[in-house]
Amino acid sequence: MSEAMKAADYKSELKPIWCPGCGDFGFLNAMLKAMEELQLQPENTALCSGIGCSSRLPGYIKAYSFNGIHGRVLPFATGVKMSRPETTVIAVGGDGDGYSIGAGHIGHAARKNIDITYVVLDNNIYGLTKGQASPTTPLGVKTKTTYYGNMGTTLNPVRMLIAYKASFVARTFSGDPKHVQKMLVEAIQHPGFSFIEVLSPCVTFRGSDQFKLIREKVVYLDDDRDLSDEVKAFDIANDEDKLTLGVIYKQIRPTYGDVIRHNVIERARAASNGTPDIDALLKQFQP
Amino acid sequence: MLNNKNIVIGIAGSGGDGVISAGEILVNAASSEGLFVFMLKSFGAQIRGGESSVRVRISDLPVQTQGDRIDILVVLSWSNFMRFKAEMQLEERLVIVSDSDDPMPDDEVPLTETQREFWYKVPFGKLAEEHTGSRLAKNIVMLGAITELFSLPKEALQKSIKKTFRNKGDEVIASNFKAIRAGEDFVKEQIVKIDPLRLDYEPRPPRLVMQGNEAIALGAIYAGLDFYAGYPITPSTEIMEWIARYLPQKEGVSLQMEDELASINAVLGASFAGKKAMTATSGPGISLMNEGIGLASMAELPAVIVNVQRGGPSTGLPTKTEQADLMQAIWGSHGDSPRVVIAPCDVEDCFDCTVLAFYISEKYQLPVIILSDQFIGHRKESINPESIGGGASGFRKVYRRDTPSEEDLKDYRRYKITENGVSPMSYPGIKGGEYLGSGIEHNEKGDPRGDVATHAKMTEKRWKKLDHFKEEFQFERFYGPQDAKLGVIAWGSTKGAVKEAVNKANAMGMSVSAMIPQLILPFLVEPFKEFIRNKNRVIIPEMSYVGQFRRYLRGFVRFGRYGVKVIPFTKAGGAPFMVEEILNKIIEEWKDMEARR
Repeated sequence: MSEAMKAADYKSELKPIWCPGCGDFGFLNAMLKAMEELQLQPENTALCSGIGCSSRLPGYIKAYSFNGIHGRVLPFATGVKMSRPETTVIAVGGDGDGYSIGAGHIGHAARKNIDITYVVLDNNIYGLTKGQASPTTPLGVKTKTTYYGNMGTTLNPVRMLIAYKASFVARTFSGDPKHVQKMLVEAIQHPGFSFIEVLSPCVTFRGSDQFKLIREKVVYLDDDRDLSDEVKAFDIANDEDKLTLGVIYKQIRPTYGDVIRHNVIERARAASNGTPDIDALLKQFQP
Repeated sequence: MLNNKNIVIGIAGSGGDGVISAGEILVNAASSEGLFVFMLKSFGAQIRGGESSVRVRISDLPVQTQGDRIDILVVLSWSNFMRFKAEMQLEERLVIVSDSDDPMPDDEVPLTETQREFWYKVPFGKLAEEHTGSRLAKNIVMLGAITELFSLPKEALQKSIKKTFRNKGDEVIASNFKAIRAGEDFVKEQIVKIDPLRLDYEPRPPRLVMQGNEAIALGAIYAGLDFYAGYPITPSTEIMEWIARYLPQKEGVSLQMEDELASINAVLGASFAGKKAMTATSGPGISLMNEGIGLASMAELPAVIVNVQRGGPSTGLPTKTEQADLMQAIWGSHGDSPRVVIAPCDVEDCFDCTVLAFYISEKYQLPVIILSDQFIGHRKESINPESIGGGASGFRKVYRRDTPSEEDLKDYRRYKITENGVSPMSYPGIKGGEYLGSGIEHNEKGDPRGDVATHAKMTEKRWKKLDHFKEEFQFERFYGPQDAKLGVIAWGSTKGAVKEAVNKANAMGMSVSAMIPQLILPFLVEPFKEFIRNKNRVIIPEMSYVGQFRRYLRGFVRFGRYGVKVIPFTKAGGAPFMVEEILNKIIEEWKDMEARR
């Protein structure tokens, strides 16, 4: 057994491109510590992302990292996990990447219960393209593309994920890296699709008071309740006056990998009596 | 022209008449006698019910196409035949077999006097009811009748019925045997045969029956497919259906994704994880996948992408064929995005091309697009069992991806610039091989870089991979005498009609040769130059209204410099070329060339 890995050992040589004061720094540090706590092996860890400020994160961590295209992190991560189940797969992205262009994938990764952790660093804005509205930008906020104020109801991601049957739903705040680390550890250990909404302020395009404003609304949940109570989970999500942090919903059910292994591959192999060679497969084409 | 060595049977009826299953039973019967078979199905727009038709060509000699004209027209319902009349080209010397109880009066049947001369009527439905207690078996009664009428393989028909209904129990098989007998007996007892058509053949060892789509699926499994992700779309879906059933037997994973964006990205995820991965779709799906295909080019991820083309643009003609996704395959993604495009030209070639596609994509770490079409994907052909699996004729090499050596891992550079552009590729599980793969421009290590020099260097590195494999493979097929002055260049499914037309033209005393490239991109110019060197004219037939293939060829081949006149021969898709269409064009050009000599 090699020596224990320290948080700093997980750092890559790349320096983050984020603005000073960005919430993502807090998350990155918490992530490195969570990796230390779990003693993840870089060679057996895959960090995937799409496009956005937060999607740069995989490059800053020593692992099998992939920075793909906008909105497609979940299918990519699904491909990694389903083809190499022994790998710990973490998908990361922002609110634009996940809740806008990539929103169509969340429901499917969640309902299938793909055994990956999906972290959304939600800053309520498009930062990389310098300040346009996202699905979580509050109503009325003026951005570069919403000159007359943002129209349309703001998305409530936690409620969406509970509705989609994500088997683990948590919210945390990058201003509290210890809590982020705790949530990450639980999410990564959770067998199935685990989702973490990370409130990760953009001080550049949403203002330097964002940390303060979030702190005022934060309430911490304890786990002293039935985490699989969906109605209770919706109640927590629906209370938009507060920002409730913690594990909001959790349910244990078979992962897609388990299902494919037991209900598909094992049945297929029983039907074929082991691995068929090409000649066996050709039999069905005999007249 | 009636020819007892080669007959084309067209069957039309309503969806519930069992037209397609009758065609399949017939194809299996003929193939088990070693006959050469080619079958095309056609459906109306309805999902269930509606009308359907099938065309079965049975021949003692190898066949390349569905046959231009139908010799034997079998009609289970005239009203349904009417919907297919336009696509069922009939011989003038035709034999008709129809249901005696069809409500359409004879004088309303839209056929010529000559075509009506040989017309047999059999009460298919009534006989089925009398002998099996149900009208359902009328398609089987019909098979019994035509087998007797045209000396089709009788024992093989029984064998084929047995196989078709083997899961339905002995009673069902016995009942279907009664139905065959009823058809046969009716013909023996009630019909005086007046036409001269009788199949004449030498029985040979059985041949396999396969669809183009199935051949692709089988080729993928042969090549070591580990992971498939896809989204159903006509006319490619059979690939996914087949893989979903058989890949898990080899412990592979097949996933139905939420859309094509997800499919291609899941495939790339699996490829990043070190697995052989594939997806299949049709034009609309490729339109959605193009961004992902570009990602594969940029991140240098092997992936095999199948496009079974259909008529377009947009929803277009989902169940009909066209060759108009050529430019999309070549230039579909934004940016200079290296990929390889291979086009199979028949069912057997679908197998070969797929094995080849995996070889190239795994070796050169790039996306390979297999450009098939509905005409190949949905047809059934009889295949020599020797030519698939253990066979020697086609491309059968399976490539295992190169992984980094210990030396490479000391200072691992995933995108290391090498002589042939291919760099050692690690995957999760390999310690020391961790890297950042990305769609953003990057340096040799994989670190994001936005500078001009890196982009220039890395673009060259990625494209260099295409320069280095031309020596490895033979990608062209040639037919006819090489020194012919008149040539035909075609690609993909057009091969069948071209080959038959060229063979006929040469048999008629003309001198014509044809070239069919299997590799579309990268474009290897030398074989084309060689082919046109001594030509005066080259006909380029294709199912693309704007002539995408011709335009593409002209970008590389300077026909004018060799004094070669290019004869465009384009049409919008829908119906594949008939041999006659190509042959007439050849004759026209040949005569004109002779006149100018």
